[in-house]
Amino acid sequence: MLTIKNLQANVEGKPILKGLDLEIKPGEVHAIMGPNGSGKSTLGHVLAGRPGYEITGGSIFFKGENLIEMETEQRARNGLFLAFQYPVEIPGVSNMEFLKASVDALQEHKGEQPMDSVSFLRQAREMYKQVDLDPGFLKRGVNEGFSGGEKKRNELIQMLMLQPALAILDETDSGLDIDALQVVAEAVNSLRSCERSIVMITHYQRLLDYIKPDFVHVLSDGKIVRSGDKSLALELEEKGYGWISEVE
Amino acid sequence: MSKQALNHIINNEYAAGFVTDIESDTLPAGLDEDVIAFISAKKDEPEWLLQWRINAYREWLKMAAPDWAHVNFPKIDFDAISYYSSPKGMSDGPKSLEEVDPELLATYAKLGIPLHEQEALAGVAVDAVFDSVSIATTFRSKLAEAGVIFCSISEAVKQYPELVKKYLGTVVSQADNFYAALNSAVFSDGTFVYIPKDVRCPMELSTYFRINEAKTGQFERTLIIADEGSYVSYLEGCTAPMRDENQLHAAVVELVALNDSEIKYSTVQNWYPGDAAGKGGIYNFVTKRGLAHKNAHISWTQVETGSAITWKYPSVILLGDNSIGEFYSVALTNNYQQADTGSKMIHIGKNTKSTIISKGISAGKSSNAYRGLVKVIPRASGARNYTQCDSLLIGDTCAAHTFPYIESSNSTAVIEHEATTSKVSDEQLYLCQQRGLAAEKAVSMIVNGFCKEVFKELPMEFAVEAGKLLEVSLEGSVG
Amino acid sequence: MFDYIGHTLQNPLPVTSGWLESLHQKARLGALGRKVSDESATESWKYSSLCALEENNYATTAKPDPEPDLLDKTLSQTIGIDKSNAHNLVFVNGLFSAELSDVEPPPGVEFVRFSHAEGQHLTSINASLGTMADKHQSIFRVLNELHLKDGMYIRVNKNVELDKPIQIVWLTTRQAQSYTVSSRVLIELEPGSKAQIFETFTSDDAQQNSFTNNVTELLLREGAYLQHFRVHQEQEDALHIGAVHADLYENATLKSFHLALGGALKRVDVAVNLLGEGADSEQFGAYLLCNDQHMDYHTSTEHFVPNCTSNEVFRGVVGGRSKAVFNGRIHIHPGAQKTLARLSNKNLLTSDTAEVDTKPELEIYADDVQCAHGATVAQLDELAIHYLQTRGISRAKAKALLSYGFVAMLLEQVPEPVFAEHITAIINHYFQRHYSEEGCDE
Repeated sequence: MLTIKNLQANVEGKPILKGLDLEIKPGEVHAIMGPNGSGKSTLGHVLAGRPGYEITGGSIFFKGENLIEMETEQRARNGLFLAFQYPVEIPGVSNMEFLKASVDALQEHKGEQPMDSVSFLRQAREMYKQVDLDPGFLKRGVNEGFSGGEKKRNELIQMLMLQPALAILDETDSGLDIDALQVVAEAVNSLRSCERSIVMITHYQRLLDYIKPDFVHVLSDGKIVRSGDKSLALELEEKGYGWISEVE
Repeated sequence: MSKQALNHIINNEYAAGFVTDIESDTLPAGLDEDVIAFISAKKDEPEWLLQWRINAYREWLKMAAPDWAHVNFPKIDFDAISYYSSPKGMSDGPKSLEEVDPELLATYAKLGIPLHEQEALAGVAVDAVFDSVSIATTFRSKLAEAGVIFCSISEAVKQYPELVKKYLGTVVSQADNFYAALNSAVFSDGTFVYIPKDVRCPMELSTYFRINEAKTGQFERTLIIADEGSYVSYLEGCTAPMRDENQLHAAVVELVALNDSEIKYSTVQNWYPGDAAGKGGIYNFVTKRGLAHKNAHISWTQVETGSAITWKYPSVILLGDNSIGEFYSVALTNNYQQADTGSKMIHIGKNTKSTIISKGISAGKSSNAYRGLVKVIPRASGARNYTQCDSLLIGDTCAAHTFPYIESSNSTAVIEHEATTSKVSDEQLYLCQQRGLAAEKAVSMIVNGFCKEVFKELPMEFAVEAGKLLEVSLEGSVG
Repeated sequence: MFDYIGHTLQNPLPVTSGWLESLHQKARLGALGRKVSDESATESWKYSSLCALEENNYATTAKPDPEPDLLDKTLSQTIGIDKSNAHNLVFVNGLFSAELSDVEPPPGVEFVRFSHAEGQHLTSINASLGTMADKHQSIFRVLNELHLKDGMYIRVNKNVELDKPIQIVWLTTRQAQSYTVSSRVLIELEPGSKAQIFETFTSDDAQQNSFTNNVTELLLREGAYLQHFRVHQEQEDALHIGAVHADLYENATLKSFHLALGGALKRVDVAVNLLGEGADSEQFGAYLLCNDQHMDYHTSTEHFVPNCTSNEVFRGVVGGRSKAVFNGRIHIHPGAQKTLARLSNKNLLTSDTAEVDTKPELEIYADDVQCAHGATVAQLDELAIHYLQTRGISRAKAKALLSYGFVAMLLEQVPEPVFAEHITAIINHYFQRHYSEEGCDE
């Protein structure tokens, strides 16, 4: 699904990723953990193609194709989805218009007819219910005036609608209470399949109680310094991130 | 607030309003090419400068006085003004302090500007201009050690003719506007500063302008050149005696900031504003402009409390890439004062940045207008401007206006302008008074808070001064 | 170059009878000796050139209408809101078309043609026509009267609430010779009445050679409520210099919305006078410019009395080689205490060959007021574009969506859904087309 080799990247001229390797196979769920400033979010943005995130070395292959050469929207159309840690507000553009434009773009890419408005709307309403948001949100501006938790759920709705091959969740759990966390977990778990991979970027292991990862990686200073299974996350929880630098 | 207290405050006098009794050489009123030749000869100027003045005069004759500002005043009779006045014996320019008339030194001491170096404000070099001539410049030798030139412009014409010839009129041309053309024709004195390459000027430079003689105009011209990589902070202060007739002050200030240099120019303008009935006061019609080359930084800070009419727009032409222009202003009008002031930021280079913070305070029957221009030309990619204009109204007989002109032709430029108005509310006053503060103290606190963003840009010594000045100028405005 | 005013004076309208003739006579005197160049030298025309007006000879008025059948067809296809949802008044080249209009007004409303006005109606017209016009008597208001062949007085009687909007369509067509259209409506809402007016200015598809000089006067008596829309969709070559004047008495409410697609020269002056306490004016506007278009909105909100509120928001998307001019003035007269006044003008500048000149102005002569204005000239947020791209939306489509959202925000303020839908469609169509054109502003 995704093969990253020796990835190096700068943000505003400052090196953040310093030789990162990661291999994700279809159906796998990976958790990437690490202290603040270790480069977790940068990895997500580099994969999504955010302007200002400059790749200075290494390679990324997504479904066998060179990801680096793809425009942001091509990556999305090929099935890469990033749930933003800080979703952008777009006043004036309703969630409905936004979702429809997005779903249409992906359908067109697959060579399929655009979904008719009625079934689109029916499906979107379902998704809103699934993440416990009022379907009335469809008429509101994208993330406009949403609470932190509402924004996170709105991201998940987009993920559910777009059915990505690779979903990257950037701290989707942060700032959520336990009920909201369960809603998020259910939504993500409903997506799990043998063809779909999920990457969870998170600071706390809490989320991993609900979405069980196959692999846990610890990122520190732009590199993956430890990889293991779920028990690694528990170890981190117990000992804190200070322990990582001691091992290094 | 009691009527008695109010009257006490209203009757507060303009502290700098005394006249120095000193004999002067003053030209008869009127202007023609002979007068210009006289001024030029008196200052022993080279032929090119006389010609430069004559050209300016001929341009001026073709021009009409501007009428677009939001100010009202009777037409000025330019033939009723004397274009040159100097204290007797001073026309040859400043000599050593010992030769300066003790009466003059006393005048400056009374204004709080001691010219004797041992008494002077630590770390501030002063050039004192009395009517048309510079009478003393302090700390010259100390500055000379650093290679800094700080002298009167008349002296600079003689001592550093190449520098003057190279830069004079390059920022504000002779025909720039009506009052600048007049100034170019008749300018008498002013300050010249040159900071050599990579030099950080070791002390604050300051000019103190004083109009003393009646029926004269003051037309000083200031030229500051910061060579590559240099830095200078400069401050000017202005006062004039109380006189019943209006006096004209039409100055030109040119700043040249070469690559990587920085000029900080601060003004505390306290020309006589006229009396409470609107009689007398200075017409302050000034052109101030800076030219910022690559990576240069020009910052204007002004506290304008004086003058019957203020008409000035300190500007920055952001010519070089990455250059920065700033304008921080407090303009206070009381009684019948009128101000039309603001700034122009012309973005030409790439990634140029400008900031305009303007605080207008109107009281009494005064009128206070912000007028500004932010212009971004097509090639000024990445230009950025932020403008904030706030007005504070004290009483219901004053006026506050905002006229910002924004012109953008670049698709990567970001320009933001905001303006608000507020008043000193009865509730605020009541609260302060209930906590034992006098009304005028409360107003002064509120006004000082309103102006904080600008005061912090002033050199330390003057920030305190400016606060006090506002307090004095505002007295009588609370009812 | 033609001397527009000089030529106009040499080509007077045929003498008509009655009050219109005396209106022409008065205007003649007002126009004598004046020049377009004097007008263009004023501050009000600092950023807009009147050259286009003197490049052709526009000094005569339109010839009689072409085939009305043909027009009807164009009309039903393209103009304004659904005709069945409105009471329709149609003017072709400035002249009222009875065939295309619903001549019979709804109950409680009166439609009176200027040329047919008499008795009490004429008294009402004379009492109000031109009284709201600008104090400086702009030459174009004078010329409007000089050229005026007809006009419409619309009165909504006391406490009447209209069931459907009144739609006014101003249509211009290409003629053999370039010409001037002078048009005028005076709309009076009597106390307590409530109405919606939807004006559309449009043209046939041919290259235009008309100059429209329109004045719309709105008189809102005590407690009246009006939604007023003014949409400019004329073909690009059409010239338009128009004015909207509104007088608001006690507790009257005006909600207005302006939308302009650009033209060779389009200028609209909007003056709102708040004359009675408790009056409220809300103005929203949008201009969408490309190619070599020029659009100039000059608005002025005059607070004459205490306790009134005004809010004004104009937004523009400016690309190609076009130029947008916005001048928004708030004037608080002495004694107008407790005023709340706000104004905002935001622009997206999408091309280095386009230009935005904006000037929000405050003139304040009272202290116990809350006034604020703001203006920006900027671009679409790159992060928002990126966000849409991460959802598979192309850059061009993302820009179209975001530009649309930038303008569509204003529609949240439009209470009447029929109007909102219609305007949404115009804006949407504009951006879809604009960003799909290859290389447009990229």
